[in-house]
Amino acid sequence: MQAVNPRHHLGEATLLSYAAGALPAALAIVATTHSSMCMACRRQLRMAERIGGGLIALQHEAAPPAGAREAMLARLDACASSAAPALGSFEDAAAVGPDTLPVPLHPYFGRSLAGLPWRWMAAGMQGIRAGIGEGTLLMLRVAPGEGIPMHGHHGSEFTCVLQGAYDDEFGRFSAGDLAELGTDDRHRPVMASDMPCICIVGLDGDLHCEGCSPQALQPLFVA
Amino acid sequence: MITGKSTEVAEALQNPPSAAMHDWTAQLEAVACRHDRDSFMRIYDHFAPRVRRYLLGLGVGGALAEELTQEALLRVWQRAQQYDPGRSNPETWIFRIARNLHLDRVRREPAWRMAQEYLDDLDGAVDGQWPPGTESYAEEAIIHQAIQQLPGIQARVIRMSYFEAKSQQAIASELGVSLGTVKSHLRHAFLKLQAELTCKR
Ligand SMILES: [Zn+2]
Repeated sequence: MQAVNPRHHLGEATLLSYAAGALPAALAIVATTHSSMCMACRRQLRMAERIGGGLIALQHEAAPPAGAREAMLARLDACASSAAPALGSFEDAAAVGPDTLPVPLHPYFGRSLAGLPWRWMAAGMQGIRAGIGEGTLLMLRVAPGEGIPMHGHHGSEFTCVLQGAYDDEFGRFSAGDLAELGTDDRHRPVMASDMPCICIVGLDGDLHCEGCSPQALQPLFVA
Repeated sequence: MITGKSTEVAEALQNPPSAAMHDWTAQLEAVACRHDRDSFMRIYDHFAPRVRRYLLGLGVGGALAEELTQEALLRVWQRAQQYDPGRSNPETWIFRIARNLHLDRVRREPAWRMAQEYLDDLDGAVDGQWPPGTESYAEEAIIHQAIQQLPGIQARVIRMSYFEAKSQQAIASELGVSLGTVKSHLRHAFLKLQAELTCKR
């Protein structure tokens, strides 16, 4: 993906839950995708992690079981060299091309938009559902100018735009932008007219939709 | 009535701790440069009981909690050279190690750690947000005090998030309030702690 300058970011509550390791997995993956394109949110996450550091330092101590200290010392002997295991380089993974997906999505969708097994979901809309343990993770491709019927959400829905753009009640969302929608938020996104809009969507609950047949959205919920 | 913990923090603020006792950055540097076992064991003696409590609080069973505590501290030993004081203070670095281990090994979200390493990688070395020379123990004291001063409900949702890894929805259900209310408490807590750290530094 090319460099982007997002205008819609992670909310403060989300930053805290993310840093705490308490965001449902589907939402966390979308939040990571946005953060990989947004230095501002990476900085905010560091702030939220400092709170975790402060909390852990203020914890009461849990007494060690017998022999814990000796066991630790023995493990130091076992790796006395103190050699840092080499961290993997991400340069290959992040090699930029027009169809390269953000690195945090590679485990779920592979490296490239090219050749993805899109499935028909509704008129003008194709999708791919990734297998994750908790919640729903979808990549959507919606045709230029297409609208998605007004819908609300059970639980939370995070969307990060990868290509193209859409407009809804909350503004224009372009590549890199993150939208957080909750139970009470209803919206009717309309895609920009120049190119298909590709988004990654995380849900911690079900989508409910007015004006579209349950059958049309059914493939959303089939693993 | 002052709780034991705020007394401890208040004392730490009044009597700047001696470098030997509280400058964990220096201890980490000694581990990184000289593989100094005494420095490492000082870090171990201070942080292992807290990491253990953190994991037990997350519901990890005793034996596994001990195994992961050791593994977390072993990573401190092995990766001290990668610790970057310009990026995080020692307690935050150790928190991240423990949190990532929990997500990786207990919650079984194997992609999480790779993603965190990737995000770290993006900003290269020191990015200047925390200028070198900021004493980590001074900064730690500020955040400790700010956490202690959070209003009760904000402290509660923060603790449920960090220490019980509860989602906002789960917190809302447990407290019998709306999701929006939980988000609002978390938001206010974040803004308050952020303001303390950026103003007093
Ligand atoms: Zn952002």
